[in-house]
Amino acid sequence: MPDSGYPWPIETTRLDNGLRVVVSEDRTAPAVAVNLWYDVGSRHEPEGQTGFAHLFEHLMFEGSVNVAKTEHMRLIQGSGGSLNATTNPDRTNYFETVPAEHLELALWLEADRMGGLVPALTQETLDNQRDVVKNERRQRYENVPYGDAWLRLLPLLYPPGHPYHHATIGSMADLNAADLATFQAFHTTYYAPNNAVLTVVGDTTAAEVFALADKYFGALPPREDIPAAPDGRTVPATGRPAVETVTAEVPAPRVYVAHRTQPFGTPGYDVATVLATVLGSGRGSRLYQRLADGERIAQPDLVGAYGVDLAHAPAPLIATATARPGVSGDRLREGLAEVVDELATVPVTAAELDRAKALLSTMWWRQMSTVDGRADTLGRYATQFGDPARAGERLPAWLAVTAEQIAEQAAELLGAADRATLTYLPEETS
Amino acid sequence: MTLIATRPGPGAARPYRFPQVVRRSAAGGQVVAAHLPGQNLAVALLLLDGGAGREPVGKEGLGGVLAKALEEGTAQRDATAYALAIEALGTELVTGLDWDSFQVSVQVPVDRLSAAVELLTEAVRTPKLDPVDVRRVRDDEATALRMDWANPGPRADAVLRADLFGADNRWGRPLYGDPESVAALDVDDVTVFHSEWFIRPGTLIVAGDLDRVDLDALAATVFTGAGGAAADKGGPIEVPLSDRRRIILVDRPGSVQSTLRLGHPSPHRAHPDHVPMTLAGTVLGGAFTSRLNHLIREVRGYTYGIRGDFASSRRFGRFAISSGVQTAVTAPALVEAVGEVSRTQLTGVTEDELTVARSWRAGQLSVELQSPRAIASALTTLVVHDLPDDYHARLREALLAATVEEVSAAAAAHLHPESLTLVVEGDAAVIRDELVAAGLGEVVDHTS
Repeated sequence: MPDSGYPWPIETTRLDNGLRVVVSEDRTAPAVAVNLWYDVGSRHEPEGQTGFAHLFEHLMFEGSVNVAKTEHMRLIQGSGGSLNATTNPDRTNYFETVPAEHLELALWLEADRMGGLVPALTQETLDNQRDVVKNERRQRYENVPYGDAWLRLLPLLYPPGHPYHHATIGSMADLNAADLATFQAFHTTYYAPNNAVLTVVGDTTAAEVFALADKYFGALPPREDIPAAPDGRTVPATGRPAVETVTAEVPAPRVYVAHRTQPFGTPGYDVATVLATVLGSGRGSRLYQRLADGERIAQPDLVGAYGVDLAHAPAPLIATATARPGVSGDRLREGLAEVVDELATVPVTAAELDRAKALLSTMWWRQMSTVDGRADTLGRYATQFGDPARAGERLPAWLAVTAEQIAEQAAELLGAADRATLTYLPEETS
Repeated sequence: MTLIATRPGPGAARPYRFPQVVRRSAAGGQVVAAHLPGQNLAVALLLLDGGAGREPVGKEGLGGVLAKALEEGTAQRDATAYALAIEALGTELVTGLDWDSFQVSVQVPVDRLSAAVELLTEAVRTPKLDPVDVRRVRDDEATALRMDWANPGPRADAVLRADLFGADNRWGRPLYGDPESVAALDVDDVTVFHSEWFIRPGTLIVAGDLDRVDLDALAATVFTGAGGAAADKGGPIEVPLSDRRRIILVDRPGSVQSTLRLGHPSPHRAHPDHVPMTLAGTVLGGAFTSRLNHLIREVRGYTYGIRGDFASSRRFGRFAISSGVQTAVTAPALVEAVGEVSRTQLTGVTEDELTVARSWRAGQLSVELQSPRAIASALTTLVVHDLPDDYHARLREALLAATVEEVSAAAAAHLHPESLTLVVEGDAAVIRDELVAAGLGEVVDHTS
């Protein structure tokens, strides 16, 4: 068992304004990854403002005090870099990987939009990006079969008022209602240096990054009273299963079985991660062996199970299968539930456990094989657990999970009363 | 103001390095490897001359079915035992195919590479191919394609490809076949294709810390027992341009977006204009900051994204634009997209745009070539297209040296707005009249 999943140096500092800076030097390739985690996500959105954190992420690319509209993209790509940003229920991250000589440019751009977005934000920009996001919603959720599964699962798992009740993409109605003042306030409230972690990994030194961070970010004012998201750690059990059946234009019946586990970063979620791999990752997994190969009721490419790595409330574990031709939704739902139920009653063998751990090890090292993968990981651990070095604990923690722990968790958390089941059925064809 | 207004310039440029490339002949085959010191993961990839271009017309999807069938048991063990053995090493058998090649690979911690390559070899060289399993895999693949074709995109792609290259040719049909072509395959098709193309040695690609890898031993594993000479790969195919622009409408009732696929034939990979053509494509549609995405997304808000590029294989190429736009703006989005193609063809690129395009393409050779998987993929490019070890360094120099005149000339020569086929997959009843009124070309309803 490795001592650490992160065998590279990590150095950290905190600027006077509260910005945490994390540096991991690696001279292997002439590139640096710059990554900012802002501790704001869709869990902070009040009712009526769903989708705002994500729409705001789009606005961050549309210019700031010293950066013209669309210039951010042009400057990073014109330096040879790759860039993007993502929003999820927990947080928003912004990242670019650039040839190492452009590190300072990347930091200048990030500082300008952290400290100078509001004066550059216009109604025209908001209207344009609102249209872009509405098209993103159509493309990813509305215009594809089963595309809205995640939107339907969340309210089955989390009650109204819970920070994970609504999906990050938001509703069309809320997006239509978004006004400029709300977004200006959103930036002022959450995009403060003391609500962010700046991580740089690659061909540079900690001294260089600390000096540049101080130069570009050091004078930005902190914000005192950043409002917390609603506390979602405790989700009251209803004592009965949540069930939804959707008849839609889909090519075959599909079932999702979802459970709340533990928050990402806890020992319980490490168990859930290994459990999900045993259950649904690869051709040697229980779901594949039982439903795709054994009973042959599920399509082999479309069975699987995975955890969604959310840290601020019990995170979802989702198992899914899609019916082979001639197999009914009922039959598939029974089969899937049976395999999930058996996690509590049929002990995980040593071979199953070793297989899962080997796959997880490779997955971990794949994430670590690029500077951008490492930067995002360090940013996560600094933001969510206060210490980037805790990234090194994850792989050893997975490797320490036992078959008994999996059986206990399955018995405790994966019972029928705590289950959300979403079934898609094809429309009747006449 | 607490912000620094002056944009910093670049620091001292680091020299470009592509990992050291090692080539050797061993055990009757060729090995091409890249040394990645200190890297914990390694990738081994067997590159076979068994791409979609080798599939007979009418047998589209054969490679995909064979890829799945490789894992349905081998001479040594059954499918479940095989899955457990390879996944116990922390890897899965990853298969892929394009027009020029078939690839099978594993990605593992480097100390497990030789065991993983043994299992890879077992599946590729000695699959069981039991007729019952092959039929089931074929049926599953046909079902998987039906699922995929329920999404917007695959039908539009197929219609565009058929119109550009002719459905009588293999390269005028979908890369992975369609649900019907796969359902019609029989067991002999699969076993014959395997014996024809999967027993020849091929090339072993390795990316990893070579101090911890025995290349000769890996080569012996992969090549022992393989046989057969390399087959003729065929020359570039002449693909005529259409004499008129037209719209092909693929009906998808109720669709909230229209899926756009616009394209025309373009030169094959070894064409001398490859670099300036790539850059012209980048300025027009290849990057977030390109003309198409700027206008259609950032100015108009019609789409989540729109891209256009030149893509090429050994024998042919195509220029294509793809996007999904809100149904109500289908016609204006098409008019503006075609307008940008025409403008680029007529007036070329500007120095400002080209500066971004060439730096981006050159920088990506550092930024995106980090992981063993990415390096292995770069090595396959060297092999498939007969390129030298220092190709990536030379490519970088060629990108940075390309002038506005050269790139504009490539745009003028290789963009053909009047020959574009515009495939629109959307709610035909809602958009047909507007498409006709747009005057971009005759509107034809796709029937199938």
